[in-house]
Amino acid sequence: MDRLTRRETIAIGAGGLSAAGLIGQPAHAAIPTANVPLPKHPLEAGATLRVIRPTKFVDPDETIWRENTEKFTKATGVPVRTDFVGWEDIRAQVAVAARTGAGPDIVAGWANDPHLYEDKILDMTELAGYLGKKYGGWGALPLVYGRKHGTQKWLSIPMGCGGGALVYRKSWVNQAGYEKPPNELDKFLDLCRKLHAAKHPVGWALGNSQGDGNGTATWLLWAHGAYQVDEAGKVAINSKETVAALKYSAELYKTFIPGTLSWLDPSNNKAYIAEEISMTSNGVSIYFVLKNDPKTAAIAADTEHMRLPGAKGNVYPEAANTLNAMAFKHTKYPNAAKEYLRFMMEAEQYDPWLTKCLGYWAHPLLAYDQSDCWKLDPKILPYRDAQKMTRYDGYKGPFSSAAAAATAEYVLVQMVASAASGQSTPEDAAKEAERRLARIYRKA
Amino acid sequence: MNKTADDAPVTEAEGPQLLSWDSLPRRIVTVYVPLVCFLIILLFPFYWMGVTTFKPNSELLNYKDNNPFWITNPTLANINKLLFETDYPRWLVTTMGVAIGSTILSLVSSVLAAYAIQRLRFRGSDYVGLAIYAAYLVPPSILFIPLAQVVFQFGLFDTPFALILTYPTFLVPFCTWLLIGYFKSIPYELEECALIDGASRLQILRRITLPLAVPGLISAGIFAFTLSWNEFIYALAFISSTENKTVPVAILTELVQGDIYHWGSLMAGALLGSLPVAIFYMFFVEYYVSSLTGAVKE
Repeated sequence: MDRLTRRETIAIGAGGLSAAGLIGQPAHAAIPTANVPLPKHPLEAGATLRVIRPTKFVDPDETIWRENTEKFTKATGVPVRTDFVGWEDIRAQVAVAARTGAGPDIVAGWANDPHLYEDKILDMTELAGYLGKKYGGWGALPLVYGRKHGTQKWLSIPMGCGGGALVYRKSWVNQAGYEKPPNELDKFLDLCRKLHAAKHPVGWALGNSQGDGNGTATWLLWAHGAYQVDEAGKVAINSKETVAALKYSAELYKTFIPGTLSWLDPSNNKAYIAEEISMTSNGVSIYFVLKNDPKTAAIAADTEHMRLPGAKGNVYPEAANTLNAMAFKHTKYPNAAKEYLRFMMEAEQYDPWLTKCLGYWAHPLLAYDQSDCWKLDPKILPYRDAQKMTRYDGYKGPFSSAAAAATAEYVLVQMVASAASGQSTPEDAAKEAERRLARIYRKA
Repeated sequence: MNKTADDAPVTEAEGPQLLSWDSLPRRIVTVYVPLVCFLIILLFPFYWMGVTTFKPNSELLNYKDNNPFWITNPTLANINKLLFETDYPRWLVTTMGVAIGSTILSLVSSVLAAYAIQRLRFRGSDYVGLAIYAAYLVPPSILFIPLAQVVFQFGLFDTPFALILTYPTFLVPFCTWLLIGYFKSIPYELEECALIDGASRLQILRRITLPLAVPGLISAGIFAFTLSWNEFIYALAFISSTENKTVPVAILTELVQGDIYHWGSLMAGALLGSLPVAIFYMFFVEYYVSSLTGAVKE
């Protein structure tokens, strides 16, 4: 590669950006921004980028992403190729890229992926600092997933948080005597019992499913104050809080529709759309599908969302599926990679992407609270705050391959499923989970 | 070969006849009912794929008002989406190319390896055979990262050659193991006769052994083709461009969007994707069966 001098590369980069009108251009009108100097990322001569990210959630997810990428190429002359990978499969590709030191320059992967490969990826502290200052700061969850645990060093740029709110049929909840699902767990259980008695059972995934299954388990545990490891990473699952959560899940399970033990990620979508269940937790996808099909528009009109019950003050028993972008050290064009991520996060690009995706990837930067996205349909407002969650996979411990392995082996969801279905007593289920977690954390 | 009494054709008058202890009810219970159960179990997945392919979403999601086993309002929308809104035809061609390439490569290697182990009888040949089979037991999930480094070093990443050259890592052991067993069933005397007549080892392989081993080769070929066609983990790890993907990986990438599964198009993709393998089996089923029952009757 021909190397240019620092002065020349700055000139090329700045020239390209100013030619495209990207410097000094006001951000999207609705998004409040601070006047923060651009980070210095002089583009390397002949730079090209290869990006992989999870496959689209809805068509605009891909089309707007590609449009924004084309804008970047026009502005900078840096060709960028984006490949879309299956959600469950992206981790294998990240592992290959990290271990072989070749492949994509940027991966927009999942929440804790950057933490597993922190020695293989570029430091993003400067870029994250710029974005945070310009756009009103980062939300709590991006702060957790973006920075190295216990430090101020940024490993990645969180790009969006797919929240898992409570999805429910308002009319059926009203018929059961509640204005909306209560936050108190005992009252919530009462509501579920009444819905079940009225032949409108509820349903949460208890099968080995990456998103919904793990989400069910962590909700129940965190709502009761339980956690899998303590701050130091010592296994702490076998606690009275866990046993209380498991006893509660056994009661709640009695109000479920049959079959939830084998439910995977799409199962609750299907059951809710078919009006087989009255309540579940999910991303905005259920509502999106209902709303866009005239045959199910009536169900969409009767559907509401809210935070999952069991919140204590502003602490919610939820995590969010965070899209977390990292750039590998093996890239020949680190500045171009950082500049691409900055460009994609700027309001001119980010806000249309956020809005057209109906807020599925809720913003990580707080200024986007003001986005038109959240004014178009008040029903999706609970998804706006996905980035305000403070819980994460492997809570309360540091990020580690062990935390990822525990999630991948469905330790928590299998514990909840065995206690809920009566296959084990809550005490035995907690003990078994403790044994499995101890093995996983010891190996790591 | 001389025909024996066993090979004589059965005339119409001779049978098949029911024996004294045999009866129609007994046959129904012992033959036809198990046969029907077997057929239902084997064919139901194809039926389900077919039915789902032509179902509109409203019927697919609502079993209360619709019969899950039948279609009220069939639609071609799922096939249309698969064929014209995705790169499915290209994925199919890529998968076919990869499967054929890796099968040919594996068969050639396996024939040579199996013949050497079975017939040349060099010192330690038994252990080599055992080691080759043991290699088959190493799961691809362990091998894909080291193999990825090799693929990158050769500059093959994201090309079909990455798959054509890595699939033999599990195909060669399997085919070799299968062919060793097959070559064992070919009488050694035939080769000895050829040796006496002055044939070289390669001539024996080409003119004597391989023609007799055609059913075994076809059987190994079918297995290799099917394993290549369905392979997932290497195709996922070594190919990142959408257009270069193989069918099993690509339909998941394109038709599973988060927790939204486009079941109709997924099933259409699975159905169309399984047809080449089914056709392949259909044409060669006789060779396949004969390979399992031995090569040449002594």
